[in-house]
Amino acid sequence: MMEGFWLFLTLGTLIWYVVLLGYVAVRGARDIREMLKGISAQSPEQKGE
Amino acid sequence: MSNFSFIDGSIAGLYLLIVVVIGVLVRRYVSRVDQFLLAGRELNVFLGIASLAACEFGIVTCMYAAQNGYEKGFAGVTPGILLALAMFVVGKTGFCIKPLRNAGVLTIPELFEKQFGGRVRWMSGVVIVLGGLLNMGVFLRTGGDFLVTVCGINPEYLEITMTLLLLGIGLYTVMGGMISVLITDYLQFIVLSLGLLIVSVMIFASVGWDRLVETVQATHGAGGFNPFVNPDMGVAYVLFNAVVALAVVLTWQTMIQRVLASKSSRAGQRIYTGTSPFFVARFLLPALWGIAALATLPAGEVTGSTMLAMPKFLSTFVPPVVMGIVVAAMLAADMSTDASYMLTWGGVIYNDIMRPFRKAEWPQKKGLVWNRSIVAMIGVFLLLYGLWYPLRGDLWTYLTVTGSIYLSSISVLLIACSYWKRANNWGATSAITLGAIMPVSYLVLEQIPETAPFARGAIGPYVWGILSYAAAALAMVAGTLLKPARRRLEGTA
Repeated sequence: MMEGFWLFLTLGTLIWYVVLLGYVAVRGARDIREMLKGISAQSPEQKGE
Repeated sequence: MSNFSFIDGSIAGLYLLIVVVIGVLVRRYVSRVDQFLLAGRELNVFLGIASLAACEFGIVTCMYAAQNGYEKGFAGVTPGILLALAMFVVGKTGFCIKPLRNAGVLTIPELFEKQFGGRVRWMSGVVIVLGGLLNMGVFLRTGGDFLVTVCGINPEYLEITMTLLLLGIGLYTVMGGMISVLITDYLQFIVLSLGLLIVSVMIFASVGWDRLVETVQATHGAGGFNPFVNPDMGVAYVLFNAVVALAVVLTWQTMIQRVLASKSSRAGQRIYTGTSPFFVARFLLPALWGIAALATLPAGEVTGSTMLAMPKFLSTFVPPVVMGIVVAAMLAADMSTDASYMLTWGGVIYNDIMRPFRKAEWPQKKGLVWNRSIVAMIGVFLLLYGLWYPLRGDLWTYLTVTGSIYLSSISVLLIACSYWKRANNWGATSAITLGAIMPVSYLVLEQIPETAPFARGAIGPYVWGILSYAAAALAMVAGTLLKPARRRLEGTA
């Protein structure tokens, strides 16, 4: 019973991880471009703590 | 004899160089303190997931999760499952993190000032930094131990290995702050994930699932699969880790800084729900490595700390070239963790502890110089503390107990600040004081030979830890209610 639970969890985790890795590799790169563009666009007048 | 070869060293060295160069190159985007600490609040969901996952998986994580697997079997994965559940629930509901992000603050203590006053903000900053520094103090030594064992390097070179690694990390963190950290985290997430997946699949293929299960059964019995019947764990262990898990996802600096850096509270919540399953992987995959070490290493091979069982196993199990990828993955894991820890705790020192010394607002340039200096000083501290602190007991327990110095009180303060309008500075001050005294007293008792049996045996870290959280919560309620009504009406500070 418990062995089955751990096998299910391990396989599920491995499959989920592979999918996440592919997804984040593509979408994360896009997020980096947008982040740098957004930071560049921040005006100096916004400065202030 | 390790399988680590010149080619492996070249792969790892090249990777290290690429990361440092990229990290340094983005420094031109930093011209303000909020860009240095929070990347100008431009963090979106997928980069947030990569960054949060990378920073929350260091060599130290791999070592204690593998040690849990070696010593407790599959049941050692319990803290990871609890963390994943807590993160998913908090991400889905926005519990505390939504009001925190919407407040537009740089740090949690800054939020506290609005309800509890400037003194509570300063005290919170002090306990957050104290707990965080003690916690990260063991990272370098543990990382060095791993690299020396896996690569077969002479232990005499441990200190110099650690120093060189820290210099590289410090360089890009000091230059580019959170922007460097986020971009290098992205690379590091990909590399560390490849390393984690490759080794785990190799273990499945070479050692086999049946052998792993049989080893756990033979060594730990039913307690290797079920934490409630494991003699070293039990209800107190599960309960303590559940409370710690909730407190961690609400207040752990490296996690909460991603929420504060996100574009919106919605993006922050999605980063949490998206990353939550990673916390199972973060414990489960290294635990498999620890169990594989238990199954394959000859009796008598593991002398001294069981923490070194997994790196000993990897040193002969992983073939050349793949070894280079694995070492690069572990370097990636360590770099992202150390960089994030130095930056986020440095942010609290600047924003909250130094607040009383900044009567007037400082120019951005001066603020940046101070932030960079603080990060560099934390690096020096890591080096010194990592060299002389003798770690006793298991690593995960040390991390949870030191983390509890602030986790217990700050999580109570954050919940009260977000949902209890009546909570005041008397309650907050009492909670911070008691929440810090309890774990520190445990660490002291554990180090003194005369009191060590009492601390470790009679009470134990788990019950002590639960009492810390209960004491902080009770202190918040009692302190708030004890404050005279007249003074409550006059103000909170």
